[in-house]
Amino acid sequence: MVSLRGGDEALHSAFAQLDLDPRNGRLVALKTKEEVRAALETFEAHVVELPARYAGVLKDVIQTALPDLKTADFQHLRRVAQWKFLPPRLQKQFKSPRGDDESFCEDDNAELEDTVRYFLVCPTTAISKATLQDILRRNPPFMDRDRDPRIFHVEVPALAPTSPEQAAQWSLKYWPISYKNTNPYGPHPSLVARNTAEIEAHAGKWLSLADSVAQLLHALSLGERVGCVIVDNNGERQEIIAVAGDCRWRSSSGAAEPHQGPGNVMAHAVERAIAMAAKKRLRAAGKDPDLLDRKLFCDWPLTDLEKQFYEQDNILPNGYLCVDLDIYITHEPCVMCSMAILHSRFKRCVFAQRMPMTGGLTADAVATKVDKGIGWTSSLGQGIFWRPSELNWKLLAWEWIEEDAKDSTNDCMNTTGNSDTLHA
Amino acid sequence: MSWCGCYPAASPVAVTLRKLVHVAVGSGSYRKGPALYAQQTAFLHQIQPSGTLEDEQTCQASTADHEPGAMNAEDRVYHERFMREAINMAELALVSDETPVGCVFVKDGEIIGRGMNETNRTLNGTRHAEFVAIAGILSKHPVSIFKETDLYVTVEPCVMCASMLRQYGIRAVYFGCWNERFGGTGGVLNIHSDPSVDKPYPVTGGIFREEAILLLRKFYVQENEKAPEPKQKRTRELKTEIMPMDLHAPKQCA
Ligand SMILES: [Zn+2]
Ligand SMILES: [Zn+2]
Repeated sequence: MVSLRGGDEALHSAFAQLDLDPRNGRLVALKTKEEVRAALETFEAHVVELPARYAGVLKDVIQTALPDLKTADFQHLRRVAQWKFLPPRLQKQFKSPRGDDESFCEDDNAELEDTVRYFLVCPTTAISKATLQDILRRNPPFMDRDRDPRIFHVEVPALAPTSPEQAAQWSLKYWPISYKNTNPYGPHPSLVARNTAEIEAHAGKWLSLADSVAQLLHALSLGERVGCVIVDNNGERQEIIAVAGDCRWRSSSGAAEPHQGPGNVMAHAVERAIAMAAKKRLRAAGKDPDLLDRKLFCDWPLTDLEKQFYEQDNILPNGYLCVDLDIYITHEPCVMCSMAILHSRFKRCVFAQRMPMTGGLTADAVATKVDKGIGWTSSLGQGIFWRPSELNWKLLAWEWIEEDAKDSTNDCMNTTGNSDTLHA
Repeated sequence: MSWCGCYPAASPVAVTLRKLVHVAVGSGSYRKGPALYAQQTAFLHQIQPSGTLEDEQTCQASTADHEPGAMNAEDRVYHERFMREAINMAELALVSDETPVGCVFVKDGEIIGRGMNETNRTLNGTRHAEFVAIAGILSKHPVSIFKETDLYVTVEPCVMCASMLRQYGIRAVYFGCWNERFGGTGGVLNIHSDPSVDKPYPVTGGIFREEAILLLRKFYVQENEKAPEPKQKRTRELKTEIMPMDLHAPKQCA
């Protein structure tokens, strides 16, 4: 048997002996459920046009009039914006003729763009336009004027952007946005970047291994073509802890049964791999791994490939569940398996094929090829990975994007032979 | 990808409309398509207790009780009989140093499977009572048996188990106390009824709720007494099925 001990080099050779080509692609971090929500939520705000030098005055006036206003809630929106930084749509709207010649720029005898400012007052729910107008008229610079102050209603993103790209996009679409390198709705960008860098070079290998175990059980008619690999990848350490394929069509007698209905749901690849890792832990603790064993869990190796890794005593002793381990799956795991991954406290998760109708990890919709051009494919929207507040765990998760696929029109659903209603 | 057109959430905006989708079920926006069932059990029950919708799942939902208080005396006796059996399993878990969650599966008034948590002894965070019981059932029966089988479990099924039960096609779920940390049938998520390719199932919570909670309390006291030194570690490492701070009154009943 090939030893996988001895770090990266030994591992490379072990992988080489398996005669597998690493998949070629890249990792894209998933968006959390909260991020998806943040990207879609907007509110309407009052915006007041005024000369630049009165912006400070207005800020105080609003503060006095609305003492309960929580400006921290919209800190991501620039409070005062110059005309030239507004989205084109608003530039057009704000510049529309007033029908009078009393404009601030003439007062100031300067270019409109340089001296006029647009002040984002507050959400329209905080104060009515009439009341706001009233307040403005009792204060400078509006108090001595005949004309009403110009108040616009502008739609703005309700929550802070989670990437510089998103901030730039929103600034073009809604209102000038400020971005701080942070993500209140998911893992911090630097955390994602660091972890992506740590695993990206090897991810294609683990997925290739997951593919082959999936293929083996599928060829035996015991399972769908879904496979999974659990890896301990921390610093110098790189160990394959468990390799498991799906065997939902394996009957309690061990024979393949007709592929009807859901099959044995508990024999999904992820469930099997987690159970094998647990048995290795029992073994490492000097306990009987077959204690409380039940056939229907199918949690022992069914192929030589699975066995090769199951028999390695390479799990660190004194560990807990799958803390600090990573899991690689050929498909986005179903809701059950996604939660099993969370329950097992995995550190990182990578899947290759999105399963929009059954997958439990993704929260967002993605652009996909449909019959005629590009369409939007939604997901179940569960986003069961980074859920510290509700589900008590912060799992990092990525989708694998295959690169230079020979056949560019290839639909992965077809390449794996799995239907889109399959639960991985 | 022909199903795209049938899926109720076909645009990114739809993600935020999910709540509305639940509500809209009653007004006929529910689409059959390639078997994507929309929300229609617990929610529907609150919105339209009269059950005026035509399709089969709705009828099923409207006959289910969401709160034990709504049951007639005869039904209550029936359900309490099986929940008592589930509690017996939870008590067995307690003396086995496992988180005291127990369950029984019932078909035609007969118990066909029993389970209790085994996460501690197996070092496997997925060995919940429901898994253990189903492993026993499937060694004797085909998967199709779940269509006529109900689950009685002392604590609301977690997200994982809720999804497993739906994939297997369980007929109905009755539980004791809510699981506010991991609950998959209303406690945190609504896996039993959210849009999915699988048929939804009705749930009824609150049967012997106090007893279920009391057992969990006993367990945490017992764990802490047993391990005074590594206490912090043991409680931190606790159990994936429920956690000590989760023992509040259920949201729905509070
Ligand atoms: Zn699964
Ligand atoms: Zn569970």
